[in-house]
Amino acid sequence: MTTVTKQGDESAVAASSGKVLHLPALEIRQGPNRRLYTFAVDGKQVPSFAAVSRVRRDSQQQLHGYQRPEVLAHVAAIRRYVESDDRPLLPNAIVVAFDDRVRFLPADTASDGPGYVRMGTLVVPVSEDWEDADKPGFIVDGQQRCAAIRDAEVPAFPICVTAFITADQADHRSQFILVNSTKPLPKGLIHELLPAASGPLPNQLRVRQLPATVLERLNFEERSPLRHMIQTPTNPAGVIKDNSMLRMLENSISNGVLYRFRGSDGTLPNIGLMVTVLSDFWTAVREVFGENAWGKPPRKSRLMHGAGIISMGYLMDAIADTNSSGEEFPDVQGFAAGLKTVKDYCRWTEGTWDLGDGIPRRWNDVQNTPRDIQRITDFLVSTYYAKQGKRHERSSRLF
Amino acid sequence: MKFFFPDSQDQVDPTFDFQTEERDPFRVRQRDDLYAHEVLKPPPFNGLLVSKAIVDGTAGSSTGKYTLPQRHRLYRQGAREFFRLDNGSAPLKIMGDCGAFSYVGEEYPPYTVEEVVSFYEGCGFDYGISVDHVIFQYEPKVLRTDEAAKEWVRRQQITLDLAAEFWQRCSASDVHFTPLGVTQGWSPESYAYAVVELQRIGYRRIAVGGMVPLKTKEILACLRAIDDVRAPDTQLHLLGISRVDEIPTFAGHGVTSFDSTSPFRQAFKDDRDNYYALDRTYVALRVPQVDGNAKLKARIRSGEISQGQAMQLERAALARLREFDRGEIALDAALEALDAYSAVWDGKANRSSQYRDTLENRPWQACDCSICKKVGIETIIFRGAERNKRRGFHNLHVFGQRLRRQLGDDDRD
Repeated sequence: MTTVTKQGDESAVAASSGKVLHLPALEIRQGPNRRLYTFAVDGKQVPSFAAVSRVRRDSQQQLHGYQRPEVLAHVAAIRRYVESDDRPLLPNAIVVAFDDRVRFLPADTASDGPGYVRMGTLVVPVSEDWEDADKPGFIVDGQQRCAAIRDAEVPAFPICVTAFITADQADHRSQFILVNSTKPLPKGLIHELLPAASGPLPNQLRVRQLPATVLERLNFEERSPLRHMIQTPTNPAGVIKDNSMLRMLENSISNGVLYRFRGSDGTLPNIGLMVTVLSDFWTAVREVFGENAWGKPPRKSRLMHGAGIISMGYLMDAIADTNSSGEEFPDVQGFAAGLKTVKDYCRWTEGTWDLGDGIPRRWNDVQNTPRDIQRITDFLVSTYYAKQGKRHERSSRLF
Repeated sequence: MKFFFPDSQDQVDPTFDFQTEERDPFRVRQRDDLYAHEVLKPPPFNGLLVSKAIVDGTAGSSTGKYTLPQRHRLYRQGAREFFRLDNGSAPLKIMGDCGAFSYVGEEYPPYTVEEVVSFYEGCGFDYGISVDHVIFQYEPKVLRTDEAAKEWVRRQQITLDLAAEFWQRCSASDVHFTPLGVTQGWSPESYAYAVVELQRIGYRRIAVGGMVPLKTKEILACLRAIDDVRAPDTQLHLLGISRVDEIPTFAGHGVTSFDSTSPFRQAFKDDRDNYYALDRTYVALRVPQVDGNAKLKARIRSGEISQGQAMQLERAALARLREFDRGEIALDAALEALDAYSAVWDGKANRSSQYRDTLENRPWQACDCSICKKVGIETIIFRGAERNKRRGFHNLHVFGQRLRRQLGDDDRD
């Protein structure tokens, strides 16, 4: 489809090297004065006609360009995807601003399609010798994708390009700001979508997929004591913040009882067992602390608050470690027995915590801050160990 | 002579891929990582030194190097399991201290004796050092009664009072660890004075603190003064000593253990002595990540340097070094690539002749430690935590060999 020719009548556009790309394209009229061109080109060829316009100031402090440097981790992630996925897809077009050396030649064929679009050929001069500033195009959007394809160990990777022609760099700059000033997706929505997403995802989201999946099952499975209690975009009435629950799950998956079920060396995580342990624990919490503290919004019960959920997670790990070994873990009764030993010291809904540091804390003064979470956690876990008798004499001294 | 290595959460990630510079995203920090004693044979130290300040943070603002989940797991499992002290080819001991340098600027140490005893006992340590307050100065001519010594005397007295309380608590609650008292001073006489006091309390193991900034001959002057008052069965531990070549000399003054990070830290903090060999050191080959060098990054962001060009030079430097290692290209070609990249990220220092020295000698090929054997030239490339920490581990290995050789020990352990 792409042809490189040496044609006399195009000497004006390709004077420097005599080479041009003929790219089948659509011209779209948008508004009274704007023409857009859309076409496909091998991503490997993009650097031969388009550059990235790096932002900088010259010696007179004049601003040039508009693009930031490549985000290398992002480029590497796209590149890994293009190289290793068995059917990679980069569906959205990169955006290129051309200067007037690029021309559109409409096709002769009359079309009875809509008047705002016509088929034709975009004629783009190319050269391997050009400095960036000499190239007829600038990449307004998609520099990370272009860099990834440039570096990728694949022979070719055709992409969609949307282009417009303007000699005015201020025009590039405003288009650049427009495409890059959109709001990112809210975290809560991303987490809710994660369990049902497959295929390529950035690593930090792949790592979140497991806790997000466990959270989803706790929130929507029939047998879960936390059913419909975790606040997510599709379950806005939940009383527990999704983020608090995720933190609790991540803590236990990395350093607590759930670590045993996370899978490793090619084995998949055992999500069913994770949900079982968590269901048993939170059922025990509901039984032991009762209606008074359970299911209420955080402003009425600190048990449902970040500080309560996260510190109870640590207590779950402590009880599980005390009462189990290897494959075994406590059931509802086992967890309940452990929880009962600390129940009388908790002030989730009224009264004042005596955390042993001589500073009384009213129940609703406990905030969702690392400091308060640590205080409540240390208190709960040390109280629990202190009640376990001889075996935990050493551990109970720690806090 | 026992060597303790201070824990600062220094492990290496076995899933790190040196070609792609990527790791298994599902790896759990610390749990899936390896300590030096798990990688090297024999373990390069006899034990770990763990500070309360690193684990718990100080009461003020700092939060320690441990995450809350890690800290709770340490408490649940105890130090032996958490640090996997029995996972190496020889089991390790574990010593606790307070990390007095983290609160050196405070009026008074932030921990109570009871908290510290609980920390040592709760984690199951083998040795525990009493709560101390560092005296930074070394002024051999200043007497206790001088006005200039006022603050030093105050700190020394705090340290001695806390040592007395520590001894009492340890005896009363029949702890499982061996308590060590700390001598802090500003002169040979003042160190000796504190040793007399500590021995009167009952200590037969004494840690000597505040020596980090001292010169070797100053340390020796203090040790000689301590010799005059030291009971024959009193053993000394040198806290945070960096002049490790003098250890055999120190041994003659009752020193039976010490701790140091210096072989490890030199790998990436020192200007030139980055890579240890048995009889000398080498400069490491600096190839910083374009993305990881703050100065270079700022210059790229401002438009002063082309990112593409910097990346090309960086990649070329790595590629040439590996080709040189495999014997595919000559030394000069590798050196040129290193210099070309250096000119971009580091206009000032010219390390060309030092690099030549390192490349000519190929010390990583002669080394028999498990790290050099496995990753070869990557060990001596100064770049990112995974390489730098591995080089630190290698240094610990060589340091262990040197130490055993100096002390006349059998090197097979």
